[in-house]
Amino acid sequence: MIKKQWNQDLKAIPFLLPFFIAYVIFTIFPIFKGLEMSLYEWTLVRKIEFVGLENYVKMFSDVHFWRTLWNTTFFVILTTPAMVLLALGLALLANLNTKLRTFFRGSFFIPSILSVSVISFLMIFMLQPYNGFVNNIIQMFGINWEPMWMADRGLAWVTIVVVTLWWTVGFNMILFLAALQDIPASLYEASEIDGASRWDMFRYITLPQLIPIGRVVLLLQILASYKVFAQILLITGGGPGGATRPLIQYIYEVGFKQNNLGYAATMSYALFFILLILSIVQLKNQRSGEN
Amino acid sequence: MSDPQTGHETLGRTKRSKSTVLQRNRDPKLGLKVTLGFIIAVIFILPIIWMLFVSIKPNGFSTTEPLEWFLPPYTFQNYTDIMFGSLIFRWLLNSVVVALITTVLTLLITSLAAFAISQMKFRYKNFIFIFFLLGLMIPGEATIIPLYEVAKSLGLIDTYAGLILPMIASPMGVIILKSFFDNVPKEVVESAIIDGCSYFKLFYKIVLPLAKPALSAIGIFTFIGSWNNFLWPYLSIMSETLYTLPVGLPVFNATYSQAYVQPMTANAIASIPVIIAFLIFEKQIVKGISFTGIKG
Repeated sequence: MIKKQWNQDLKAIPFLLPFFIAYVIFTIFPIFKGLEMSLYEWTLVRKIEFVGLENYVKMFSDVHFWRTLWNTTFFVILTTPAMVLLALGLALLANLNTKLRTFFRGSFFIPSILSVSVISFLMIFMLQPYNGFVNNIIQMFGINWEPMWMADRGLAWVTIVVVTLWWTVGFNMILFLAALQDIPASLYEASEIDGASRWDMFRYITLPQLIPIGRVVLLLQILASYKVFAQILLITGGGPGGATRPLIQYIYEVGFKQNNLGYAATMSYALFFILLILSIVQLKNQRSGEN
Repeated sequence: MSDPQTGHETLGRTKRSKSTVLQRNRDPKLGLKVTLGFIIAVIFILPIIWMLFVSIKPNGFSTTEPLEWFLPPYTFQNYTDIMFGSLIFRWLLNSVVVALITTVLTLLITSLAAFAISQMKFRYKNFIFIFFLLGLMIPGEATIIPLYEVAKSLGLIDTYAGLILPMIASPMGVIILKSFFDNVPKEVVESAIIDGCSYFKLFYKIVLPLAKPALSAIGIFTFIGSWNNFLWPYLSIMSETLYTLPVGLPVFNATYSQAYVQPMTANAIASIPVIIAFLIFEKQIVKGISFTGIKG
């Protein structure tokens, strides 16, 4: 009997092994490696010496750590509500009963498939002062205003947020759209017979039916926004004066420019725990939605 | 979940036609809403259209008159210049090759693992499945510094293999495929085993073909994810010849701050393949997003 069990186990091994190896080496092991690195002075070339919790102590008193963590959090606060509302609005437009619905859906979604480098440089060139496309359109309408989209603190944030919304709202719109199309038509028919107005239908049928997917979009968005890095690095470089620099950019700079992988690993751990908690909340939310 | 495609399928339309006709007749603001949708849709694609027009303007062109960007004269000279006179074409090839191999390997190892968990009996199965599920909670961005160390000690820094191998173990893929494989009728599996069919044959001949929709969704997302991956290639590749497009483009573009034509041509070269792929696979992509609920 035991031998038979062994035979079964052996048969499963070739199926499991390729995934298992890649998963353990590149997903699981780095978590423990990161813990080790955070306890050392560790350069790009090699590990130098054991420093205990020194990196952690340094992190808690590092102004730049808190500043960039705040910048990332500020980005989450700015983008998340706008993203959810815009995604919902675009989904409603893409669900209108018109021949243009495929065009709407395609247009709203297509920026999402472009590479971050493409959208970033597209925006850098469109938002140039003096001869950029956007500023020239503003002036075409007779408005005498020359905004410095990337050099002014406030406008740099506006640029980052608007570009991120434009670039990534398509995915969330599709999630809302699928949920909209899952609402049974019979619900609307029944309320129509009861004499409900269109606004009533939206308020009492459409919106409540969209709450579960709305929660998924909200949490996915928070999770994704905490990982913000590439579009900020490429568009503003974290500037002006570090005003938009996110945590991941600081981690990268400490690790690869200041040659301090140990401290970079320590701050990665802080990010790891923030994201871990958020994704546990997200998975719990998804599970409760399924039941 | 019902078919998320009902929006543009004739089947869905006939099923809902009665109510939608009623609603259309009763929505006095439909024209206004469609106009609003049209304006927003145009704003969304305007930057992309601008990029494509700039890419066919003569070298050195610049204007402060927005409409002039879209007017002739046109030329395709920039495309040949950049394809043959820079590393862009090489980076394009790198991106295609890396994305293709990543996709194939991901599909291979996730479907093998999902098959074992779904259809085979072995000890510690639940434990192993939960162990794989844990990966969903581990954000790659937060382990990238130690991943760099791991890749370095395996000699994977600045290699194609280093771009591919760390990206292939997708727990999400295993979960989606397992739930697909679970739907294969037990009788089919049992009778195949009794007939002396090996597990590999069962996997390859029977179970895998049944999971085509899941495989294509995971495949498309893996491909897009790899094609657009920025952070890992940015950290792990140093040689210009091994750059992928997302890492190469900024290097190329940074050398032009006021000249518009070459950077936009480079951006267009990087975008046209994915735009065409999107137009071909739009249905699968839309369906894939809504049934996995994941973000690319």
